[in-house]
Amino acid sequence: MSAPQARLQWTGALIASVGAAAIIIGGIRAGLGEALAADLASLLVGWAQLLPPLVGAGAVGTTLGLFAKPLGATPGEGLWLLGPGVVAWTVGWALLAKALQGDQKPVRPPSAAVGAPLYSKLAKAKDFYWDALAAYGFGVLLAEVGFVLVYVALVAPGAGKPNAAGGLSPVWAFSVAFSAAVVVAFIGGFLGAASSKRLATPEATAALLYFGLPIPVLLSAMHSVPALMTSLGYRLKEVVYLSSLLGENRPELGYWLVFAALALALFLGINFGFVANSSGKFDLRTSYEAFVSARHVSVFRPRLLLGVFSVLILGIVPPLIAFAIVSAAEAAADRTRIRKLGLKDPLLAAEALNELKLKQQTPTAMMTALSVGGVGVGVMALIIVLSVMSGFEADLQKKILGTNAHGVVMKYSLDMPEYADVMEKIGQVRGVAGQTPFILNEVMVSSEGNISGSMIKGIDPATVGSVTDLPSYMLPGGSLDGLEDPTKIHVKRLSPPPAPKEDVPGVVPDIERDPMIDTATPEEDEDAKAAAAMPGIVLGRELASSLKVVVGDRLNVVSPLGGELGPQGPMPKSRPFRVAGIFYSGMYEYDSKFVYIHLKEAQRFFGVKGASGVEIKVADVDDARAIMRRIYDSLDGWPYRTKDWGEMNRNLFAALRLEKLVMGIILSIIIIVAAGLIVATVIMLVLEKRKEIAVLKALGVPDGGIVKIFLGEGLQIGIAGGVLGLVAGLAWCFFIEKVGIKLDPQVYYIPSLPVRIEPVQTVLAVVIAVLITFLASIYPALKAAQVEPVDGLKSE
Amino acid sequence: MAAFLEVENVHKAYFLNGKRIDVLRGVSVTIEKGELVSLIGASGSGKSTFLHVVGTLDAPAAGSLRFQGTSVFDLSDAEVAAFRNRTIGFVFQSHYLLPEFTALENVAMPALISRLDKKSSLNRARELLERVGLSHRAEHRPGELSGGESQRVALARALMLKPDLLLADEPTGNLDPATGEGIHALLREVNKDLGITAVVVTHNVELARSLPRQLRLTDGQVVSAA
Ligand SMILES: Nc1ncnc2c1ncn2[C@@H]1O[C@H](COP(=O)(O)OP(=O)(O)O)[C@@H](O)[C@H]1O
Ligand SMILES: [Mg+2]
Repeated sequence: MSAPQARLQWTGALIASVGAAAIIIGGIRAGLGEALAADLASLLVGWAQLLPPLVGAGAVGTTLGLFAKPLGATPGEGLWLLGPGVVAWTVGWALLAKALQGDQKPVRPPSAAVGAPLYSKLAKAKDFYWDALAAYGFGVLLAEVGFVLVYVALVAPGAGKPNAAGGLSPVWAFSVAFSAAVVVAFIGGFLGAASSKRLATPEATAALLYFGLPIPVLLSAMHSVPALMTSLGYRLKEVVYLSSLLGENRPELGYWLVFAALALALFLGINFGFVANSSGKFDLRTSYEAFVSARHVSVFRPRLLLGVFSVLILGIVPPLIAFAIVSAAEAAADRTRIRKLGLKDPLLAAEALNELKLKQQTPTAMMTALSVGGVGVGVMALIIVLSVMSGFEADLQKKILGTNAHGVVMKYSLDMPEYADVMEKIGQVRGVAGQTPFILNEVMVSSEGNISGSMIKGIDPATVGSVTDLPSYMLPGGSLDGLEDPTKIHVKRLSPPPAPKEDVPGVVPDIERDPMIDTATPEEDEDAKAAAAMPGIVLGRELASSLKVVVGDRLNVVSPLGGELGPQGPMPKSRPFRVAGIFYSGMYEYDSKFVYIHLKEAQRFFGVKGASGVEIKVADVDDARAIMRRIYDSLDGWPYRTKDWGEMNRNLFAALRLEKLVMGIILSIIIIVAAGLIVATVIMLVLEKRKEIAVLKALGVPDGGIVKIFLGEGLQIGIAGGVLGLVAGLAWCFFIEKVGIKLDPQVYYIPSLPVRIEPVQTVLAVVIAVLITFLASIYPALKAAQVEPVDGLKSE
Repeated sequence: MAAFLEVENVHKAYFLNGKRIDVLRGVSVTIEKGELVSLIGASGSGKSTFLHVVGTLDAPAAGSLRFQGTSVFDLSDAEVAAFRNRTIGFVFQSHYLLPEFTALENVAMPALISRLDKKSSLNRARELLERVGLSHRAEHRPGELSGGESQRVALARALMLKPDLLLADEPTGNLDPATGEGIHALLREVNKDLGITAVVVTHNVELARSLPRQLRLTDGQVVSAA
């Protein structure tokens, strides 16, 4: 290319990029989304976009001040930049095209070939495949529009609110609309590649840029341009709701994730279209392709699989040592064997040596093993971590449901004097397994040793066991009976009390008893009597140890409200209680915060009539929401309200789910790294097999067949790694479950690591790993197809 | 009636360090069905290049190639692949067998590629191996075969799908005279018994003379050597 043309080319590119910058800055100055700018900035930072905890990094873009609106700017400002920006963009591209098209000066004299018919492939070459562009662009656009329309059409109006009626739930509507959109994008890519019979990368880029981007950009902009929001937002409110499910107040994230998925579908469609069509017809048969690729990687060798598996199970060092020992022994044995053979007949020795040589591994075989191991480690880690997290979640759920009810019925009022009627009505609802009234309040609890803020709950000891596991959490030495009847509280003694003697009731002058420990003095006796009159209280183990009390000790419960009016306003109200029992639920939250007293005591203490609500236990925990809804209906709604356990602990479970998602993403990065290894391996295979590729092509394998062969090689590595990882992961989970890994009781509230294998998420981990490895081998496979037969045949 | 194979005005150049090497300068030649043609020429005169272009393994800069009337260069990539698979058999200077497969599987490969039944393909491959006198080497990998044996396996592979045209590029170049003569005998036999048209590149002038038609590549042109 001559110098002026090169200059023209670079000028064109510069003008086009200035135009792009003008469009972006103009758009942002016009108020089209600081959030978007922040996203772009965090996208530049890298993975930050994926990790909600790091999303704060997104603020960098805005704080840089680059896109900040000047103070007092009107929303329309900067719009004028858009026009010149578009013009510059177009002019820049036009210049670039002109520079690229500009005819080159012939440097050489005309050759003998002038006048001969041009090689027909060259003669038919096109610089742009408009039909491919049309297929790609239309595919993407249709997928996006279709997604929005199908979703809005399917989803129940007002979904997400409790009284949603008709239509599908957001999750189902999303699944349907999303699958349809993915299929459309895939078909667009497939048809485009099939019609142009090539990958047509420039067309795909243009299609994504001009047809794919506008809708997500528009949707993202909608959130920061009030005018757009008012005209569009109402119609698209379901879509906005859907994406806000993903990230709290970051709906753009949802749009771009969907867009990325559709772009991926388009990409896959293009590849499949190319592969399928390059062999003439839509050919997805894989007879010889599978045969050849199996021979190339030969991943399913017992030795390799066993080796990788033992590394997964035992770690790297022990199998390495075992391998070293075995191969040393083998080598030594072989040497003597071959020498002996040689002494008998030199040719036998030669044969044995030859066999040994055949067993030697190529570097690619090592790489294959490494890739299988990489995928295996990723899958195994994913399965173990997700299972342990599920275990924690299940454990937490069990504990929460043990200490907490599955649902509560409350009233829009302080008390519920008619709780007995309410309970009768509730009792008739199908699915209710138990119920108990309660009063909940906040108090201070003080002992001689300490003071602590607590939640106090008035319970009915007779029915509380039908709702929570509290009775079974009671530690030996105390019980809930002490709440009903304070005289049943065991008095603190260092030795068991002697059986009272029949003939001498009352004071026991017994010389056998140690006066220092046990003999009650008259005042102590007095105390005991007063104590017997004190109501009982039950508290958690942590609270008891911080208050330094044991069963039989005295506690003061202080309520800031409910006392008489003193000179400085309401006086705190205080009452003594006696510890009737100590419980241990295993949930720090409860063991350190909750105290229980009898419902009647609570009524008196807080001046509540009846109860403040009724706690419910349902027969099927997963059906709690529907059952609570039925209870709500049976009580004729207002002034009653109901909540199920999910709603009561929404933040906790949301945090858990988020944590799991983040862990999943982080661990998927392991798999992506392993996929990088696969790319490297398959590229090495391609380089190593250049000659074979050329021969296969000479024998009549079309490009599509070559692609299929090398895709098959990546897929085998992925499947082998995935299956090994699955087996190893399950084995580890089984080990953790059966043998148990002890946790430090000082730190954790669970004695050992919990695991729960969830089939869906486990299978998903394997499927995702296999899919990623498959995607990773697309690029090397296409490279393999580009090997020219002559290049391979001349490489010798 | 259209000629069996018609090469017309084919130009091909290589570019090395900014210099152009004109290898084929308007090659035109017509070959009739059933002919057994030898092609001789100095080393580096472009014989392999010519054979690759005729075998659709390499793209020329200009020219046309008609096989029984159809313009081969106008076919799509997939059709060209099928054309190579069904119509042409190659034997190269070195054997280019696939190292992961046994001799038998190598011979059967063209049939597998055109998705014929595996079992009957292997049976036919066994017959062919017998024909080239290598039935006792069927289960050996190429690494375990000698040069002459490999070349015979390659010939059997080229014959697997009974091609119309056999292109052999110095099939005996790496072999001792006696073994080379064996290969040539096989080629002649194939041409006579199966009626396969064959173009054999060689620089063994004596062998070339023994074939019915002799061509010579000089100055980028194919001329009759007789
Ligand atoms: N890929 C290539 N790049 C550059 N020059 C090449 C290439 N292949 C062949 N040539 C040159 O083209 C000429 C013809 O090569 P070739 O057809 O192999 O000759 P022959 O088979 O008659 O010995 C030689 O001079 C060779 O150096
Ligand atoms: Mg040559």
